[in-house]
Amino acid sequence: MNRLYQWFDERVSLSAFIEFIKHKEVPKHRHSVWYYFGGVTLFLFIVQVFSGILLLFYYRPGADTAFESIKFLMTKVQFGWLIRSIHSWSANLMILAAFIHMFSVYLTKAYRKPREITWITGMLLFFMALAFGFSGYLLPWNELAFFATKVGTDIAGSVPLIGKPLLVLLRGGDNVTGATLSRFFGFHVALFPAIFTVLLGIHLFLVQIQGMSTPLNPKEDKKYDSMPFFPNFVLRDLLLWLIVLNILAVLAVFFPWELGVKADLFASAPAGISPEWYFLFMFQVLKMLPSHVWFIEGEVLGIVLFGIAGALWTVVPFLDKKSSRGQQSRFFTYVGIFAIIFIIVFTIVGWLAS
Amino acid sequence: MFIAAALLLFSEPSFGQRVDECLDCHLSLDTPQAIKFKFDVHRKKGLSCADCHGGNKRSDDMDVAMSKSAGFLGVPKTNEISERCGKCHNDEEKMRSYGYTGPTGQYDNLLASVHGEGSTTAGENIAQCTTCHGAHGVRKVSDPKSPVSPLNVVGTCARCHDDPGYMRQYNPSLPTDQLSKYRTSVHGLLHAKKDPKVATCVSCHTAHTIKPPDDATSSIYAENIPTTCGRCHSDPEYMASYHIPTDQVEQYRKSVHGIALLEKHDASAPTCNDCHGNHGAFPPGVESISNVCGTCHALNAELFRKSPHKKVFDERNLPECETCHGNHDIQPATIEMISVEKGGLCARCHSSSSNPKGYKAALAMRSLLDSLVSSYANAERLLDVAEQKGMEVEDERFALRDVNQVRLQARTAVHAFNLAKFHETVDKGLKIAEDTKAAGRAAIDEFYFRRWGLAVATLIITFLVIVLFLYIKKIERKPNTT
Repeated sequence: MNRLYQWFDERVSLSAFIEFIKHKEVPKHRHSVWYYFGGVTLFLFIVQVFSGILLLFYYRPGADTAFESIKFLMTKVQFGWLIRSIHSWSANLMILAAFIHMFSVYLTKAYRKPREITWITGMLLFFMALAFGFSGYLLPWNELAFFATKVGTDIAGSVPLIGKPLLVLLRGGDNVTGATLSRFFGFHVALFPAIFTVLLGIHLFLVQIQGMSTPLNPKEDKKYDSMPFFPNFVLRDLLLWLIVLNILAVLAVFFPWELGVKADLFASAPAGISPEWYFLFMFQVLKMLPSHVWFIEGEVLGIVLFGIAGALWTVVPFLDKKSSRGQQSRFFTYVGIFAIIFIIVFTIVGWLAS
Repeated sequence: MFIAAALLLFSEPSFGQRVDECLDCHLSLDTPQAIKFKFDVHRKKGLSCADCHGGNKRSDDMDVAMSKSAGFLGVPKTNEISERCGKCHNDEEKMRSYGYTGPTGQYDNLLASVHGEGSTTAGENIAQCTTCHGAHGVRKVSDPKSPVSPLNVVGTCARCHDDPGYMRQYNPSLPTDQLSKYRTSVHGLLHAKKDPKVATCVSCHTAHTIKPPDDATSSIYAENIPTTCGRCHSDPEYMASYHIPTDQVEQYRKSVHGIALLEKHDASAPTCNDCHGNHGAFPPGVESISNVCGTCHALNAELFRKSPHKKVFDERNLPECETCHGNHDIQPATIEMISVEKGGLCARCHSSSSNPKGYKAALAMRSLLDSLVSSYANAERLLDVAEQKGMEVEDERFALRDVNQVRLQARTAVHAFNLAKFHETVDKGLKIAEDTKAAGRAAIDEFYFRRWGLAVATLIITFLVIVLFLYIKKIERKPNTT
C-alpha cells in the first residue's frame, strides 16, 4: 500500500494535497449551517449525473420514440420508475438547494472580495441548472412539457432584438417539433454538462483555495472558532447527504413522477399550462403585466426587467463596494430580502392561479 | 233609349257574368286546349286563358286580344310555366280569395325539391307544375280524373320514373323499378284494388317537397322515415279498416334500432324500410326474416342457418330471429336472454325433462358467459386498485378490452347453439381476463415491494445517519490536535 502511495506521490504530489486537506479549516459560527447547501447542491448534481446516465441507456430521443421509451422504462425496466423519479425529484431539489445556497451566500455577503469569481461562476452554474431544468422538462415529450416548452420558447422569442433568432435556435425551426426535442436532448446531455463541468470545476477549485467566507465583521476583533475540513466538515456534509438521499427516496416512492399523455402537435393546449415551479414567479409576473406599458409591450418590458435584474444580481460583488471594504451594506441586504419575498409571493400566486 | 243603349255598350259586365272571348273563339275553332279548359278547375273559379297567357279576354278581335299592348304573353316556355302557376299558388291571400283552403307555396316547394333543381343540360326545372298536373285540364286532386289523384298519381310519377331511357339523362344511378316493386307491395296490391287510402308515391315522398334520401330535411331521410310511415301506420282511425296494429313506430322508437338511429343518430341503424323494403314494402315472412336481419347481422344469420335450431324452427314454422328477439321492439341482447329460468328465452322450449340436451347446453352457455363477465369485472377491479396505488397498467387495461371483444364474439357464437365451439370462443376471453388479473396482482405486489424496499432502504440510511452522527459527536469531543 505504501509503495502504491509512493508511486502516486512521486507523480502527482499526493503529500501536498493531503497536507492541504489536513490543514484546511472551516469557520464555526451561527451562519455555518448555510455552508452545507453548496454541498447538498453538489450531491444532488452527482445524483443527476448518475441517474441521467442510467436513463440514457433506455431513452430514445425523437417525437415518435421519446414518450414510448420513457413509458417502457417506467413500466417494463426493473427499477426504471425509480431512476426516472429520482432524476426528476433530484433535479427539483437541486434547484431548490441552489436557490437556498445562492441567497445564503448573497445575504452573508460571501460574494465580496476576493470571491467575486466564485460568485459569478456560481451564478452561471445556477443559470445552467435552470437551463438543465427547462431542456430536461421537454424530453419525455408529454403534453404538459410540450405546451410549457411552447410557452417558454415563445417568451424567449419576445426578447428584444435577438428574440426571433433565439426562438429559432431553441426550437430548431418556427414551431416546437421533433427537431426541438433533438435539440433540447443535445443541450441537456452534451452541451450543458460540458459547460457545467468546467464552471463547477472552477467554482469548487476557488472554494477550496479561498476557503469558506466568514460573515462580515466590521470591527475585525471577532475571531471565529473553526473545525477541521477533514474529517469533521466532510462527515457532517456526508450526514446531510444521507438525509437528503432519504428524502429523495421517500419522494420518489411516494410521489412517483407522472408521465402524463403523449404530446400531440395538433391538439389544443390543455387548461392551466404552467412552467416548472422555479420559473413560475417570472411566468406569473409576465402574465399579470398589462399588454402595454406606455409604448412598450408588457411582456417585453417584463423580460427586459428580469434580464437586467439577473445581470445586476450576477455582478453584485462589483456593485456592493461597502461589503468589499468590510462594511455593512444594508441596501443590498434589503434587495436580497425583497427578491426572496418577491419570488415566494409570485410563485404562490402563480401556483394558485394554475 | 239612347242613354240605355250607351250604358249597355260602354259598361263593364257585371259579376257572375263571364266574358272569355279567348275561350269562346278557341272553342269555336275546336282547339284541344280550349276543350280541356272547359273542365279545368281554374275556369270553374272564374279564371280565363288570359290569366295565364295574358291579353284582353274581352275582345273578340284577335289582333286586339292577342296584342302585346294588351299584355299578351303567348305560350309559356320552360320555367315560365311554373312561375306563372306560382304567381297565384304561392300567394296565400290570393288563393283564399278563390275559396281555396288547402296548402300554398307549392312553387317554392318545387324549387327546393329534387325536381326544381335545374337540369344541367337544359337549365330548367326537371319537372314543371304541368308535368304532373297537366296544362289545360287541371283538376282537383280529389277528382278521380286528375293525374295526381291517389289512384292516378302512381302512373303519373311512373311516366318518367319507370322509363330508364328518360331517367338516365338526369340520374343514371337512380333505379327505375319503383313501379314494378310497388305493384308487388302491400300498398301496391291494395292500390290495384282501387283503395284510395293506401300509400302512393306522394304519401312518402310528398307531392312538391320531394328530396333525396340523403337530405336531412327529406321525408325519406333515414331518421324521418318512422315519422313518415307513422303518419298512416300510427293512426288507429286511418288504419282501422286494415285491421293491423298501429304501435309499430312507438315500439320501434324504444327498440335498440330506434334508439341507435333516432337518439344516437347512428345512420347505420335500420329504419322501417331497411326491413320491410320501401317501394316493395311487405312484412318479412318466416322464410325471409333471417335474410332481412342477416343483411346486417350476417354472421349471426349464417351461424343460425348451420345450427340445429334451423331445422326445428322450420318444422314448427317459427320465424327465425323474431322468435327470440321480437320485431319492432327489439331490445339490446343481454346475457340474461340465455336463461332456462322461468321467463327465460331458452325455457320457452327447453326444460330439464322435455329437452334436457338443450337445457344443459343453455345452462352451460350462460354459466360460461357469467364467468366471462365476472372475470372481466375482477380483472378491471384489480387494475383499478393498482392504478389507485399509482401503478402504470395502461397496457393491461388495453389488453382487457379484448375481453369485451370476446364477449361480443360470444354473443354471435351463441347463434350456432354449439356448446363446444362456444366454449372455444369464451375460453379466449377467460384467458385474457386471467392474464390481466395476474398482471393487476403483479402491479399491486410491485407497489408493496416498492414500499417495503423503501422502508428497508430508509432504515439502512437512517442507521448510517445515526452512526455517522454519533461518530461526529465522538471525534468532536476529542480536543483538536491541529
